[in-house]
Amino acid sequence: MVESLEMQSDVTAGSRLLTVENLAIRFKNATANTVDGISFGVDRGETLCIVGESGCGKSISALALMGLLPMPPAEIASGRISFDQKDLLSLPAKTRADLRGDRMAMIFQEPMTSLNPSFRIGDQIAEGVLRHRAVSPADARRRALEMLERVKIPAASERLDDYSHQLSGGMRQRVMIAMALANDPDLLIADEPTTALDVTIQAQILDLMRTLQQETGTALIMITHDLGVVAEIADQVAVMYAGKIVEQGPVQAIFDDPQHPYTIGLMSSLPSLGERQSRLTTIAGMVPTIDRMPSGCRFAPRCPFTTVTCEAQAPALSAVSDRHLAACHLAPLENHLAEAL
Amino acid sequence: MKHFAQDTILEARGLGRTFTRGGGLFQQRTFVRAVDGVDLAVRRGETLAIVGESGCGKSTLARTLVRLLEPTKGQVLYEGNDIAHLPARDMRRLRKDLQFVFQDPFSSLNPRMTVGAIVEEPLTVHTQDNKTTRRQKVAGLLQRVGLRSSMADRYPHEFSGGQRQRIGIARALASDPSVIVADEPVSALDVSVQAQVINLLEDLKSEFNLTLILIAHDLAVIRHMSDRVAVMYLGEVVEIGDTETVYGAPRHPYTQALMRAIPVPAPGMRSMHADLPGDIPSPLNPPSGCRFHTRCRQADERCGIDGPTLETTDGTRQVACHHWRKVTEDQTRQKQEPPRSVATAKRFSLYREWSRKKMSNGPSSSPVVTTTQRKDKNA
Repeated sequence: MVESLEMQSDVTAGSRLLTVENLAIRFKNATANTVDGISFGVDRGETLCIVGESGCGKSISALALMGLLPMPPAEIASGRISFDQKDLLSLPAKTRADLRGDRMAMIFQEPMTSLNPSFRIGDQIAEGVLRHRAVSPADARRRALEMLERVKIPAASERLDDYSHQLSGGMRQRVMIAMALANDPDLLIADEPTTALDVTIQAQILDLMRTLQQETGTALIMITHDLGVVAEIADQVAVMYAGKIVEQGPVQAIFDDPQHPYTIGLMSSLPSLGERQSRLTTIAGMVPTIDRMPSGCRFAPRCPFTTVTCEAQAPALSAVSDRHLAACHLAPLENHLAEAL
Repeated sequence: MKHFAQDTILEARGLGRTFTRGGGLFQQRTFVRAVDGVDLAVRRGETLAIVGESGCGKSTLARTLVRLLEPTKGQVLYEGNDIAHLPARDMRRLRKDLQFVFQDPFSSLNPRMTVGAIVEEPLTVHTQDNKTTRRQKVAGLLQRVGLRSSMADRYPHEFSGGQRQRIGIARALASDPSVIVADEPVSALDVSVQAQVINLLEDLKSEFNLTLILIAHDLAVIRHMSDRVAVMYLGEVVEIGDTETVYGAPRHPYTQALMRAIPVPAPGMRSMHADLPGDIPSPLNPPSGCRFHTRCRQADERCGIDGPTLETTDGTRQVACHHWRKVTEDQTRQKQEPPRSVATAKRFSLYREWSRKKMSNGPSSSPVVTTTQRKDKNA
């Protein structure tokens, strides 16, 4: 796992922005790590999608990157996060707070709960600018207006003095994006930013994020459970299951050549827009709770291919092709298994 | 399973539901016509999907159809009888036939009742069964939806989202209904659990001869589950027809925009998207004429003045657009994933085969028993 990571960072050493190595997060009194040794890297201007279902640890990982994880009860059990050559986990809290909202920013799933209902949206955007830049309040307000225009809010100068409840869901998410990008961050983390939105609005927001990313060169980590969104926006993909990355690689490889049974199961569970199937293939059972985490491969209890080895020993992420990694003892499946049972 | 009987089980005629806001001493009264003049016939045994964006009135329509909300206009005919104005006592008897599955499995189950009591309640209200029989039926229902009968003594908070949705389904089935309205039954669930619940609903539908009215915003789920689909925009049905027809060649500009916006799980597939500008207008003050004209590319002067009505275009499909003849079909194409490589296709088929085999090998240690397992155990 670490080997292949180093190989990657050599290739793109000049442009690497974020490197996460063997990050593990554990909650107080838990019997297993909630996030268990994940490693990935993000280049400048690149989009990494972390995909997985509820409870896989994707949001916890994002909060840990931002330094927003409540510690205690959480603790970083192991690992290193290096952001723009800085070792984030060893920085004093004050320095991390200076980075947050400036060099790295985050937007959340539900914009209604992350906007303050009692402040005008213009002031909320300006607040972030004033916190990190030596500018006058008037300049900050001008920047807020400029940002609202950039996220294509109609009649932006009138909206500046609106409260969040006066905006629709899509507009609120645009405001969140404006706020996050106000200081031109190097990294934007977006946690399910389109999940609460209708498909047509979701398409607008994804479009907007992509356009802004091209303009600003901000790297993006998008957390989502929606494979449609991943296909749409990702350069790199990491599939998480029960606190581990089970497969990662370039988006094309993940969709064209999925290797891990969980990735294949997820893709099989989606109703197809093409030919109508009679029954959906499913992934049996559900995600194990933290107190019943299997000691071997964490997907073993739900995997149709489970062997004795899978139950005994957790598979390491290893390369199946250039930059494409999977953590499965049986990958590639077609070489290990016969179709005739 | 498709249209085994052509007759209508439930029908809306000019159905409308208006909500009033304000009207206090110093407030002006405002009206929201959430559902406005909807004509809709639900065929016996079909799955009819109602689709549209938030605020289009789909949930209000569904609730009005089974009279969880009183209509303010028009009629609802169930088995030919108008139920829109039935007195509460008679309506209570009909509740047995018309059941509802709610979107949010967290807020729709009473946290102070055990799961057994939740599922038993409809039996107490609607049947003459004694306690022993009711208990047996509850155990049977829980097993049928893939839960263990021993779970009857637990409380809703002890269950995951998918399991709670199964409890909601068991409760809806308890009174042996003929129509089930499911309002976004899987949208709060994870993909893998969503597939389990979709399969369950489909199995139950054929097993219990149900008519299913499905409210959803996930167009792929609708495509998979429904026989016919009605597309709503700001309180009105703008297009209705067989699912294959509507998805194959949508005619209303709004339906076309919706179809184009679907994210396809294959990189580089959604090339023409985000072409529907702006938000859905406020239903408090809907646009004049065709309600879609403010966001429509085809709109001309007439659309702003004169609201179109549903007209039959081809087969049984109806579209409410002045310009449906002009709206070319080549603007939309059938969306599908590109073909898989041989090795990848093999992997998917291995997954399917081995899953089936594993599930038929008897009960697993996992608390959720899937529907396939259930069937095989019965066999």
